[in-house]
Amino acid sequence: MSDEHAYHIDGAVPETPENDPDSGAWRKTVVVGTRQPKIDAYERVSGTAVYPHDVSLPDMLHGAILRCPHAHARILSIDTTEAEKMPGVEAVITSKSPGADIPWYERGGQFYGKLFDDHCRHEGEEVAAVAAETPLQAVDAIRAIKVEYEVLPFVVDDDKALLPDAPAVQEGGNMMGEPSVRERGDLAAGFAAADVIVESTYSTSCQIHAPLEPHGSVAKWDGNKLTVWDTTQGVFGVQQTMAKVFGLPISSVRVIGHYMGGGFGAKLETGKYTVMAAIMSRMAARPVKLFLPREDCFTVTGNRPGNTMTVKIGAKSDGTLTAIDYHSHGSAGAYRYGAGTSAQAAYLYTCPNMRTEDVSVYTHTGKARPMRAPGFPQCSWSLEQTMDELAAKLGMDPVEFRLQNLLTELQRGDGMPFTSNQLAACLTEGAKAFGWEEAKKAEKQQGHLRRGVGAAASFWAYPGGPPSTVVVKLFADGSANLNMGASDIGTGTKTWAAMIVAEELGVPVEKILVEHADTATTQYATASGGSKTVPSDSPAVRAAAMDVKQQLLGFAAEQLETTPGDLKLENLEIVSRTDPEKNLALGEVERLNRRGLLMGTGYRDPNPEDKVTFPFAAQFCEVEVNTRTGEIRILRFLGAHDSGRVLNRLTFDNQVFGGMAMGIGLGVTEERVLDRSQTGKMVNANFHDYKIPTILDVADTHVCHPIDQPDNEFNNTGTKGLGEPATIPTAAAIGNAVADALGTHAVNAPLTPEKILEVLRTQEMEA
Amino acid sequence: MLPKFSHVRPDSLRKALSFLDENEARIHGGGTDLIGCLRDRIFTTETVVSLSAINELRGIEPTADGGLRLGATATIAEIAENPTVVAGYGALADAAGVVASPQLRNQGTIAGNLCQKPRCWYYRGDFNCLRKGGEICYAYEGENQQHCIFGGDTCFIVHPSDTAPALAAHGAVCRVSSPSASRSVAVEALHVPPSVDPRRETVLEDDEIITEILIPKPPAGLRASYRKVRDRASWDFALAGVALALVFDGDTVASARVFLSGAAPVPWRAVGVEKAIIGTELDNATIDAAALATVDGAEPLAKNGYKIELFKGLMTEQLEAIRS
Repeated sequence: MSDEHAYHIDGAVPETPENDPDSGAWRKTVVVGTRQPKIDAYERVSGTAVYPHDVSLPDMLHGAILRCPHAHARILSIDTTEAEKMPGVEAVITSKSPGADIPWYERGGQFYGKLFDDHCRHEGEEVAAVAAETPLQAVDAIRAIKVEYEVLPFVVDDDKALLPDAPAVQEGGNMMGEPSVRERGDLAAGFAAADVIVESTYSTSCQIHAPLEPHGSVAKWDGNKLTVWDTTQGVFGVQQTMAKVFGLPISSVRVIGHYMGGGFGAKLETGKYTVMAAIMSRMAARPVKLFLPREDCFTVTGNRPGNTMTVKIGAKSDGTLTAIDYHSHGSAGAYRYGAGTSAQAAYLYTCPNMRTEDVSVYTHTGKARPMRAPGFPQCSWSLEQTMDELAAKLGMDPVEFRLQNLLTELQRGDGMPFTSNQLAACLTEGAKAFGWEEAKKAEKQQGHLRRGVGAAASFWAYPGGPPSTVVVKLFADGSANLNMGASDIGTGTKTWAAMIVAEELGVPVEKILVEHADTATTQYATASGGSKTVPSDSPAVRAAAMDVKQQLLGFAAEQLETTPGDLKLENLEIVSRTDPEKNLALGEVERLNRRGLLMGTGYRDPNPEDKVTFPFAAQFCEVEVNTRTGEIRILRFLGAHDSGRVLNRLTFDNQVFGGMAMGIGLGVTEERVLDRSQTGKMVNANFHDYKIPTILDVADTHVCHPIDQPDNEFNNTGTKGLGEPATIPTAAAIGNAVADALGTHAVNAPLTPEKILEVLRTQEMEA
Repeated sequence: MLPKFSHVRPDSLRKALSFLDENEARIHGGGTDLIGCLRDRIFTTETVVSLSAINELRGIEPTADGGLRLGATATIAEIAENPTVVAGYGALADAAGVVASPQLRNQGTIAGNLCQKPRCWYYRGDFNCLRKGGEICYAYEGENQQHCIFGGDTCFIVHPSDTAPALAAHGAVCRVSSPSASRSVAVEALHVPPSVDPRRETVLEDDEIITEILIPKPPAGLRASYRKVRDRASWDFALAGVALALVFDGDTVASARVFLSGAAPVPWRAVGVEKAIIGTELDNATIDAAALATVDGAEPLAKNGYKIELFKGLMTEQLEAIRS
């Protein structure tokens, strides 16, 4: 569906057994679905939460990495003599150091680089690393390392990378594998049957994850046992990579990632810095903390590739789609990682004839990493604006036009039905809640300000599923522990997990302590990415709580001389359904008192066979464009989301608002700027010049409109993912709103004043 | 990482000036630009001289002749919300209100805002550019979408200050002291264009400090405003900005001072606009002519041609707004 390697998981993924018995769906909930503040909100706000960046250990050293300042160079020599003699310096490593000659950037069994590569393929490639008593000493020491480079010709523009004389990034040419193609029906016949055809080329710019907490780790050895505190979205992948790199039993590596200050996909893979910290920690026999400076978090820790997309769509005059031809081109940097975008072009709309092609090329730029719905917002930017162009040509309302052509099954092979599909509801209910009809009719022009509204539809193709194992312990005093391996990447994972336990057992949320994201003490979970933490792990949480409940009711049934089926658990009290006189408070259950606690285990059952599960969304926005200055003001935004059941309305809303803010960045403000013609270096690797939206750039009014229809066929909590769906249609909705205001689509994101003025000027010249 | 330096916090101007003789001493007003410059290795220092304990450099108060005195360390936020500024000096109030972000406005000082270093990404980045002692201006052939359309010569920065064009429009004057003397420098003469010296931003000598800024009494009929266009709505420098200080006699523009930001390496006086509007009632034809005059003589680079349309549009918008 999406690039199957987009969410590469380091290491093996254990299979988990199925639950017994099947848990059935919730009929009515009292905790789930409410607005529950995060259970760790106090820690996060007060500063007592210990993020990996806060970890400070006795005798800890501080690391720093020397990086290549050129877009493309070969290291001729490295002289670390002076650095090694500097005060406080305890370890200096380069490619020549024992244990540091490690292959890196693996894809499909092949390695494309090394931990320290003498052939530097982009600005920021690692050259050497130092650990010293203080951060200042470490920085002084890396500056004292003398490196002789042969500076080589570079190519950083993805449209120039395939030219015959372009400098090669990897051996075998700059084409990153063969173009990836999807086809259905007969494209030529489809266009021949069309009454109206639109063809347009759109582009997006390279976007950077820019998490607030920089990337980094603390590594500590204890004999042959390694402990790593890592700012990661998944501790188990890091554990397996570190075990492999250092030749350790997996059990000897402990990775802890309790808090994480933002990842957005950039913290799914194990960082070179983690390995370097561990190598230097072993050399110095002291803990080493190695966090990257902000600049490095722009150049070397991933990005969302910029793409150029040409979309051609044909339709009958009644609005029925006949053909979609989609071509996407982009660069995922100097190492293998796809820049594909096409999934929605292939499947969002019912269309008998379709062809999509994704071309990924190598350039001398930092490697991309998955970024919040990899490829999808870019596709949305082009596909959804082209759909609006077509609707305009057909004289149809954009929402009506979409509704007429929505997917009803996944058009692959003979077709696959969905476990649930509320996309039509997203569009119709969303339009109603937004006031679409009224807004379309309202006066557009007010002096030199023009107002417009836009909508975009979307799906997300990564459903989640097994494995997940969760343990719940209920104590006789009516409190509970919840043990799960998933990382809470700021999205409220711990909170909804506690809510589910509260729902099943009646234990108040504040009496539930969640242990998570520690490979030594919690159960295996896949990394928190792909919007799959809720749909993968919440069913296991519920199953574990239900396991506890079954055991508890069994004990009570013995004591009350009835059957477990006759009993129900309400507010920590066990009551007979047939004879209310038969009841026990939790503290009165004798076998629970003797044991002190009851432990239950839950697993994630397999996804249904022969069906697929997608989250769906439609977003709507209203903008005001200043036709004198090209400024855009986003007036309001509404997101209608089908992500199955809402577990926590508060964090659900916040996911949607955050996704919109990130999409506003892609559509309006954010852009990696490279010094294309002179050095190939990034010129805006800082928060001043790389413009993440501020609170004044997001809409005055954000509305989250969940469809909230449980997908009970998919899993026992009825949930689907939300984190990525929340940002997929945002930029496209802005693009369509701007086009509604101006009458022309501004095709190149971000829509800075420059781009808007260009549209206005072209209009003026044509008029 | 910051270099090692000693930090002194004298309690009088006289003592502060005495430290300026020391090696590469740097003045610490609010520190919002100093910290960034040190971290980005724009310059280094061994002595940082804080002005924060010097009472005589603080304050905003009326002068005997009906004007206003801004102490050098008055913060941007204090100026933006000062009732006298808001009532009498519209361009300055507008400008101070759109500087950077609320946090930076709370911390940054007015003299620091006038003396800040350029924001050109080559100058701030890992490039040995002309202004930093290198051979070339990387912006000339490079990524120059934010750079100047006037007065580039050898270095194509834009001056980053919002308050400088506003103060210049209001006819403000800086009082400057050195250990041996003091002098006055008009804000509009404070900054050095690259044609004179591409390696300095102001006419101040190393041992000089701005102690206060004096703004003359607002003339009767003054209407003044400042507006900047930027890529994002806060914490961003001007792509284009216009400071207007127009004195009206009835509906007629009797005199005008017009300065641009985001246009040139120094706050740029738009003399052509002033000529076009003085003596008029800012009718539509006049505004059209003024818009054209705004960009008369502009020399855009490969990627900043949009600034031509932008300045025309912004001038039109601002003249229409001040007319009504």
